[in-house]
Amino acid sequence: MTSQRLWTGILVSCVFLLFGLGLFSGPADLGWGEQWSALIGNEGVAGTILWRLRLPRLCMAALSGAALAMSGLLMQTYFRNALAGPSVLGVTSGATLGVALVSLGGWAVGVTWGWTSAVLGALLGAWAVMLMLGAVVGWFRSRTALLIFGLMVGYLTGAMVTVLQAGAEAQALQAFVVWGMGSFGQATWSGVGVLFLIFSLASVWTFQRASMLDMWTLGRLTARSMGVNEKRLTWGVLGTTGAMAGLVTAWCGPVAFLGLATPHLVRIVLPTARHRSLLVPVMLTGSALALISDLAVRFAGIPLNAVLSMLGAPVVLWLLLKRKTVGENG
Amino acid sequence: MKAPLDIKDLQLIRPIRGAGTLNFSVEPGSAVVVVGRNGTGKSTLLQTLAGLLPARSGGVYWKGQNVHQMSPEERAGCSALVASTPPRSSAMTVRDVVELGLRAGGRLSGQSHVLSIMDEAGISQWANRSLNELSDGMAQRVMMARAAAQGEDMLLLDEPTAFLDVVGRREMLSQMGQWCATGRILWLATHDLEGAEAAGWVTHWLHLESSAERLGTFRCGPFVASEARAALMES
Repeated sequence: MTSQRLWTGILVSCVFLLFGLGLFSGPADLGWGEQWSALIGNEGVAGTILWRLRLPRLCMAALSGAALAMSGLLMQTYFRNALAGPSVLGVTSGATLGVALVSLGGWAVGVTWGWTSAVLGALLGAWAVMLMLGAVVGWFRSRTALLIFGLMVGYLTGAMVTVLQAGAEAQALQAFVVWGMGSFGQATWSGVGVLFLIFSLASVWTFQRASMLDMWTLGRLTARSMGVNEKRLTWGVLGTTGAMAGLVTAWCGPVAFLGLATPHLVRIVLPTARHRSLLVPVMLTGSALALISDLAVRFAGIPLNAVLSMLGAPVVLWLLLKRKTVGENG
Repeated sequence: MKAPLDIKDLQLIRPIRGAGTLNFSVEPGSAVVVVGRNGTGKSTLLQTLAGLLPARSGGVYWKGQNVHQMSPEERAGCSALVASTPPRSSAMTVRDVVELGLRAGGRLSGQSHVLSIMDEAGISQWANRSLNELSDGMAQRVMMARAAAQGEDMLLLDEPTAFLDVVGRREMLSQMGQWCATGRILWLATHDLEGAEAAGWVTHWLHLESSAERLGTFRCGPFVASEARAALMES
């Protein structure tokens, strides 16, 4: 428990430090005093930069990181698969197809409804993949089959997106490609608000079921014998992870690796598998990683997904080397 | 006073061809050993008794209440099932698993309770080790302790000794006897007829028949052990 408290303390400090660093640094040449008074009073150009650009962006990054990390943990537990995560199992691909249908396929409901349509598209896309996963998961005897399922969903949606891209107008296509690189820079306060609401609900739901998730790791039959309501747990996990991954994808693009890699990074330092102890550190680490990546995006000019792939791919390779039968371990 | 388990006109959903109907009343402290060849419905029977599989017809009544109409939490409080294969991938520690068992049974009263259960089951030396570091046999002993922590009234054990070595098997069988002595009802599906016979605490034998015309038919009585052995030898 002490090491858990220590790490939580360190992580909270990291998130605050990174948040502060992101808030008070940037290309605009603003003095410290000017920034501080702008933050308090929300006045002038500095006020606009801080309140309209940097703050929503940082909030979106911190929330997205936490939401994706929690989705990754929930999916790894539910599917008992160390390599599960929203981007691996095709949930992000589903959301991407939803956004493509809206932005490239012209399914957007009017111009002013652009964002709402994209969000709805992403949510429906993510949930559609989640529904398919929920329907077929019982048939998969091997864990590898699940990963291949995610891969194939990715190919299929990728193909459909390519078809949509081929017929799209140049302007829409450019916007879609830029969105696809991933960025927290498009954040708005309304987006942050919606994500915060869903993330809070999902967190409460998950915390209340921490023991059930622990029991679920002991196997389906054992968990059911221990009083876990399988149907409710299944639809709860699929619904919340789909909602979080879908919303993050709508605003930030298909964000890679954060959901998959974060729980493993936490497990390296924390010697526990209990969800009650893992959840907060996993969320905080997700936030910290997203904020670090965003700093790299802003100051080194590398697209978000490139940063995250450089961060996440080594984690997966390490996992494969550490456990030769990674698909069978969880 | 614990009320008995009542099984009325129970037909299982598997095997499909089997039309065996079971009527059976079990008193507290009884041990029912279920024998039969693979595919005759032993696991199906235990899971149906636990309320985890529906019955084709008839019902299982626990203290007068139909188990299929109880909530999952209520069921977890009165019976616990041990699956034939222990979990291989969970990173929960032995202590965590026992604590979860007590929690599932609604009986967690503190860490000392967890420690006493681990001592009783002889697994406290592994308390801080993860399940995925243990051998199958060790993990199965932990799962048995978890079931004992959870199910106050009835334990359903589906070939739990398959992964244990000879000594572990003997220890486990003697522990099952102790569980019965404390008034629990024990259901044990096993292929280890000699072990169960030698343990000396079996009160009922239940043979699920495997011949084509009588597949899944229930036969109860003291003659069952020898009959089941004959059937196994025949094949």
